[in-house]
Amino acid sequence: MNRIDEKFRDLREKGEKALIPFFTAGFPSAGQTVEMAMMAEKAGADLIELGIPFSDPIADGPVIQHTSLKAIEAGINTGKIFDICGQLKSAMKIPYLLMTYYNPVYSYGLKKFAKRCEETGVSGVILPDVPWEESGEIRETLGERDLRLIDFVTPFTSRKRAEKILSGAGGFVYFVTTAGVTGPRGSFSKDLVGSLDLCRKVTGTPIAAGFGISGARQIKMIKDHVDGTIIGSFFARKIIEGKTESIWEIMRRFKRALR
Amino acid sequence: MKTIPDRYGKYGPFGGIFAPETLMPAIEELENNYSRISRNREFKNELASLLADYAGRPTPLYLAENLSRYTGCRTYLKREDLAFTGAHKINNTLGQVLLARTTGKKRIIAETGAGQHGVATATVAALMNMECVVYMGEVDCERQKINVYRMKLLGARVVPVATGSRTLKDATNEAIRDWIANFQTTHYVIGSVVGFHPYPLMVRDFQSVIGEETRVQIMKKEKRLPDYLVACVGGGSNSMGLFHPFYGNRKVKFIGVEAGGRGVNTGYHSATLSKGRKGILHGSLSYLLQDVNGQVTPTHSVSAGLDYPGVGPEHSFYKETGRAEYVYALDRDALEGFHLLSRIEGIIPALESSHAVGWAVKNKKRFREKDIVVICLSGRGDKDLMEVARIEGSM
Repeated sequence: MNRIDEKFRDLREKGEKALIPFFTAGFPSAGQTVEMAMMAEKAGADLIELGIPFSDPIADGPVIQHTSLKAIEAGINTGKIFDICGQLKSAMKIPYLLMTYYNPVYSYGLKKFAKRCEETGVSGVILPDVPWEESGEIRETLGERDLRLIDFVTPFTSRKRAEKILSGAGGFVYFVTTAGVTGPRGSFSKDLVGSLDLCRKVTGTPIAAGFGISGARQIKMIKDHVDGTIIGSFFARKIIEGKTESIWEIMRRFKRALR
Repeated sequence: MKTIPDRYGKYGPFGGIFAPETLMPAIEELENNYSRISRNREFKNELASLLADYAGRPTPLYLAENLSRYTGCRTYLKREDLAFTGAHKINNTLGQVLLARTTGKKRIIAETGAGQHGVATATVAALMNMECVVYMGEVDCERQKINVYRMKLLGARVVPVATGSRTLKDATNEAIRDWIANFQTTHYVIGSVVGFHPYPLMVRDFQSVIGEETRVQIMKKEKRLPDYLVACVGGGSNSMGLFHPFYGNRKVKFIGVEAGGRGVNTGYHSATLSKGRKGILHGSLSYLLQDVNGQVTPTHSVSAGLDYPGVGPEHSFYKETGRAEYVYALDRDALEGFHLLSRIEGIIPALESSHAVGWAVKNKKRFREKDIVVICLSGRGDKDLMEVARIEGSM
């Protein structure tokens, strides 16, 4: 069984929700990425997303743009990120995914990418610039190695479209909470809960909400309507500010808010 | 002949819709609106009359006899520099902003490199009383100051983009981010045959007026089709506009001239089709200048309008199938073309278009005396005067 599927099954049995932090791999360094992933596991993270930075991250706001650029400048690349994943394979129990744009994967070679994912213990891949229509080849290539390609749904996705997209969904559904790019926001629209519930009606696949989440109050607002929450820019900003140590306590607080 | 693109926006393996899910409903809506409205008689009539009375079309097809002595063949210039706002860009912005207005959008955004597309967008937004925001790289704002001022005069807000290489690529990233946040109220006017489907198709259609006019004009003047069509290629809109109407006329050869910068082996160039490999940027699969890790590499060109690491997917398809040939002109070839045309024809061309002129002169051995060559003079050079003076002052 795929480890993401397994994780959500276990969480559901325990009545828990997943806390899913995102870290830009290689920011501030490859070594620190490994350490942070392990610290996150200790602080209660249930899954981890590692970003392969891309030069032109169109779905990301200023924070992830910054971490991506710095990581690339510091010399990170896809091969080195698989080395990071290889280290995590023995060091961590929780599943981890890679998130990136299509070009780094395409450039690396789809088959080779899937093979390296399997070898280094990666359980799934998230590609924000590959919509369902373009996902056939990469989904099949990943699927051959029991790796999940994560599908996206937003409040603007029609029910009909959601049904089409999610007919073959696995792992979890990445629910984008709001229009716009990644980055902390103060609050959600009132309609968000309704959109989440509609998504729930369409699919039995676990739903994890991401984009703009930065506080326990937001988490409490949506927790009964999701199976997990993804937090990226908020933690990245702490790292940029030199407050990496504060992240672990915040994670524990967020995990409590998810109960 | 198979229609290109197919219904998924694919030109062979190229093109497609590589967009975040958030944008998919907006793209689908645009696709539906475009296919419905572009066939609508009222829309077509309104666009035709704007192109004629507002933009000054048709633009002349001019037999440049003095230039012909330097190219060794009968050389015509398609005078897009005489279109209103000084470049072919107005053909597309009139079409797209009219489409946006017809479909109830209130706000227009655009990216711009040299500023020509930004100016053309701001112009039509002013005409149609719509809010307009133009994203422009900081480097380009600096080297195209006059165009920044023009856009402001026209009532647009110009947002300088300080990320990445601070040129057209980064301006495009910011425009896409804006659209992701504001697609419900906003139409994004992409300025070239790039981006997610249906943009490459839509921009090609709106720019095809260049080639359609050329066909009528050359038949009248020469009673036959041209042997060569030559145009510069950045994203590739003026060239596609000239080429596409001749796609089925296999004897008409297409030559796309990319920006060779300081040399295509120096790392300082924008010759995507000559030196790139397949990749995905700004919504479509096409040739792309990238490093071994799939990171998009910085580009260089003396002309801001060609300074872009990607290229329209239909051009990649033309290259792959051999329908068009893609070559490059160096910065210095373009500057020679710029000076030559100014001196012998009294026409100061845009630095972008100067690449096509410079290449044709440098490669005159390719042409026979009886050949008819049409060069697309995509824009006028007024915007480049300060930049050329600066470059040559320091040379």
